[in-house]
Amino acid sequence: MRLRHLVFAAAVALVAACAPVQSGPADAGGDERSGQLRVWLFDEVNRDAKDAVVRAAVAEFEGSHPGVTVDVQYIQVQTRAERFKAAFSDPKSAPDVAEFGNTDLAGFVAAGGFADVSADVAGWAEGKDLLPSVLDTARVDGKLYGVPWFVGVRALYYRTDVFAELGVEPPATLGEIAPLARRIRAAKPDMLGISVGGKYVYGALPFVWANGGDIAKRDGAAFVSTVDSAEAKAGWAQYTELLSDDICPPQACAGNGGDASVEAFRAGKAAMTIGGDFNRKSVDASAAAGKYAVVPLPGTTEGSIAPAFAGGNLLGVLSGTGRRTLAAEFVQVLAGKKYQREMYEAMGNLPTFADVQREVAESDAFLAPFIATLENGTRFVPVTPAWAKIDAQAVLPTLIQQVATGAQDVDTAAAAAAEAMNAAFAS
Amino acid sequence: MRAGQGRAAYAYLAPALLVLIGLLGYPVYQLVLISLHDYGQEQVSGGAPVEFLGLGNYRALLGGEQFWTVLTQTVGFAAVCVGGTLLVGAALAVLATRVRPWARTVLFLAALGAWATPAVAGSTIWLFLFDANLGFVNEVLGTTGFSWTYGRWTAFGLVAAQVIWCSFPFVMITLYAGIRAIPAEVLEAAALDGASTRRIALSVMLPLLRPILLVVTIQSIIWDFKVFTQIYIMTGGGGIAGRNLVLNVYAYQQAFAASEYGLGAAIGVVMTALLLLFTLGYLRALRRSGEAL
Amino acid sequence: MRRGVADAVTVVIAAVVAFPLYWMVLTALKPDDEVISAEPRPWTLRPTLDSFLRALTVEDFGRYLANSVVVAVAVVALSMVMAFLAATALTRFRFRGRTTMLIMLLVVQMVPVEALTVPLFFLMRSVGDSVPALGLNHLGSLVLVHLAFSLPFAIWMLRGFVAAVPDELEEAATLDGASRFRFLWQVLFPLVAPGLVATSVLSFIHAWNDFLFAKTFIISDADNQTLPLALQVFLKPDQNDWGAIMAGSTLMTIPVLVFFILVQRHLAAGLGGAVKS
Repeated sequence: MRLRHLVFAAAVALVAACAPVQSGPADAGGDERSGQLRVWLFDEVNRDAKDAVVRAAVAEFEGSHPGVTVDVQYIQVQTRAERFKAAFSDPKSAPDVAEFGNTDLAGFVAAGGFADVSADVAGWAEGKDLLPSVLDTARVDGKLYGVPWFVGVRALYYRTDVFAELGVEPPATLGEIAPLARRIRAAKPDMLGISVGGKYVYGALPFVWANGGDIAKRDGAAFVSTVDSAEAKAGWAQYTELLSDDICPPQACAGNGGDASVEAFRAGKAAMTIGGDFNRKSVDASAAAGKYAVVPLPGTTEGSIAPAFAGGNLLGVLSGTGRRTLAAEFVQVLAGKKYQREMYEAMGNLPTFADVQREVAESDAFLAPFIATLENGTRFVPVTPAWAKIDAQAVLPTLIQQVATGAQDVDTAAAAAAEAMNAAFAS
Repeated sequence: MRAGQGRAAYAYLAPALLVLIGLLGYPVYQLVLISLHDYGQEQVSGGAPVEFLGLGNYRALLGGEQFWTVLTQTVGFAAVCVGGTLLVGAALAVLATRVRPWARTVLFLAALGAWATPAVAGSTIWLFLFDANLGFVNEVLGTTGFSWTYGRWTAFGLVAAQVIWCSFPFVMITLYAGIRAIPAEVLEAAALDGASTRRIALSVMLPLLRPILLVVTIQSIIWDFKVFTQIYIMTGGGGIAGRNLVLNVYAYQQAFAASEYGLGAAIGVVMTALLLLFTLGYLRALRRSGEAL
Repeated sequence: MRRGVADAVTVVIAAVVAFPLYWMVLTALKPDDEVISAEPRPWTLRPTLDSFLRALTVEDFGRYLANSVVVAVAVVALSMVMAFLAATALTRFRFRGRTTMLIMLLVVQMVPVEALTVPLFFLMRSVGDSVPALGLNHLGSLVLVHLAFSLPFAIWMLRGFVAAVPDELEEAATLDGASRFRFLWQVLFPLVAPGLVATSVLSFIHAWNDFLFAKTFIISDADNQTLPLALQVFLKPDQNDWGAIMAGSTLMTIPVLVFFILVQRHLAAGLGGAVKS
């Protein structure tokens, strides 16, 4: 009996005295000028096109840096979180340079994964041409942690043949979308008036922003959720109205994210959808090919444009790299003007340099609505590690789905979402 | 006790114990530690110091309203899956003893196929079969466009059916072998005494099958309470507005995907405690009816 | 007559159970336009191997397959030997802590694996510092964790089989002058072989299906990825390539099925041995 007490006491002491294992703080690696530079890029559906451009950049870089080889690995977007987390905790397995989504930035930086490249960009001749609003998506607390490699914005895709047949025009304001979509579905019951989704947060946010709302505001050092402000709720109401039986039935649409929303348009089963410049190739290879056009998603007043979410990927230097200078130089080659231009030609990725962007816009009329949307000013999600948590916990999709399924009204759903977000901001 | 038995026993156990203590014991100990700390990605990669929270993670977890909803759902869902699996498995095991060998072989091959299918592949196939527009089931029923994964109950029902589909073979094959292992004389003697088939099944076969039912039931409870892949894939991460969440998916969504390992560890500890409670309750009930471990 | 009815019922049930598998193979063999047809038919007149070719050529499929086989076979072999010894100890010897140990073997199965990935990650990193082949980025790390996760169940199952072997047999063997070691490997081991086969199937499936550890431990060495990760290639966010997914799933299922059919004869007898415990 006494032994048992002793064991128990020892166990309590053990638990109380020890802290869980941790990785040591990443040492600010060395700065070798030769050897192998490891690079992680995202795998794509048409990877060959991307790979060709990357290989050209690698060849150029290796040519100007004798004794240096570049090893490029393509990683799955779906498993990126695990790969990056593991890489941060085991610098030996980590690459020197990596592509990553700008919404992941804040979390990665808080985890100490990426190096501050402010000085490198400041000293880079091409750096001054990077668009300021895009550069902001690479910034945490005033420091740059990556070079924007491309941007993505969304606009309104619509079926020209259906619109012509019914004699209707693209909507001029956000408020016109619902009645127009309802009218189309009434005339063509097999079609969704507009294909949107209950998990399509980046499709819904422009509605919130256009109505003057936002996701969160900065309050001193912390963020406070504003998804339950009157303006934001007007946006949610306007978006969720689209998820109704006479436009986009919740049965079919409530579970959809952005890709599934566009998929319905590709299948020829939707008269409109919110899609990105990056969706162009897949739509051109679908049932909707040649029968569609794109306009900016309108704002609340005629002639205005709803603020879009500035998506896109960055190229960054891992903080544990042993080849700091080489890594930064490689980023400047691959994310530089020359290869951004080639990447646009191969993949349709929108460049992040003001001049290169203008140049490609002039040569390609398709881009006009997207460039107009970009020039109108884009918005971004709160730059805090808490965003990764809010995203993982599906707070905003839950808000939309609760309203779309009629389980809760906008007030209740928005209040619950605000509470969940504030809890995440506070932790 | 024979002299030296303990030492010999530990010699035999040594390799397994080494692996188990090193690779499960130590991580479980770490798990308990982690559950008492604020431990996120920053802490893991050494970017921030860990902070001792005591029972803070548990308070946050048990204080949340959603946890209790999810827990209730998980218990209900697991109960249906365990019940369904045992029922289907047992019924087919009995059926298998009464048919000709060729029919039995056909049944076993089909069951082995279902069992061999990886959970990811199995879930995907079922999802495709029940797809609203492209699915064969809707085509046959003439309900094209009906979404099985939209409603809370149809979604749970569909996933439960898939879970039963891939777990009944284990029960069926085990019980079949168990029935076969009952000596024929025992059954003949009972029949000679004039016992009805029903009576033989209940008072002769069932007691003999108890030990095997024990293993099968405990394993099913453990597996079904922890179901993850099927719910995650078939309901798109927990259903519309999270209404199909079960504990393991909830833990993933709230904690692991968000790198909140402290909270995730707390959920893990709570789940283990609950399962232990069920199992010990079950074992105690058995002991009362005369069975020992 | 009643037997005939029972046979017929059995076959119908078998058909229902096998139908999803049939649909998987069928979809993999259908041409693309039939896969995404709004009127799916339970047959195809234009079978094609396109989907299989896509699944086999897009990525380094053969390499991943080989990795998965290596991991699964290593786990099965190691866990059989270790579980056999442990189960023998737990059934044929009485010693302090035996019941506690049995309960602990159940408890470790109850812990959700996701919760253990972080501690295991650090453990593997430390292991790798001294024995690289068993550390991160190597197949050895996967073998180790799957071994640990297979053992508790294997020991529980094998306990029943070992118990079914009468004690007198050991006494007889001892009288004949056989050493305990010889008894163990030449008498007991063959007798519980059906049980070993049955439990090994479960260990095989366990290691074979894993996705979680493969994506956490194999960070930078693409050559050491396993098959479930290769399947991910087809679950593209933009368009779900159902044909290739089904082809990949088929290729994923076949090795397990082959393993099953090979041991099927022993399987029923094997799992049933637990009854005598």
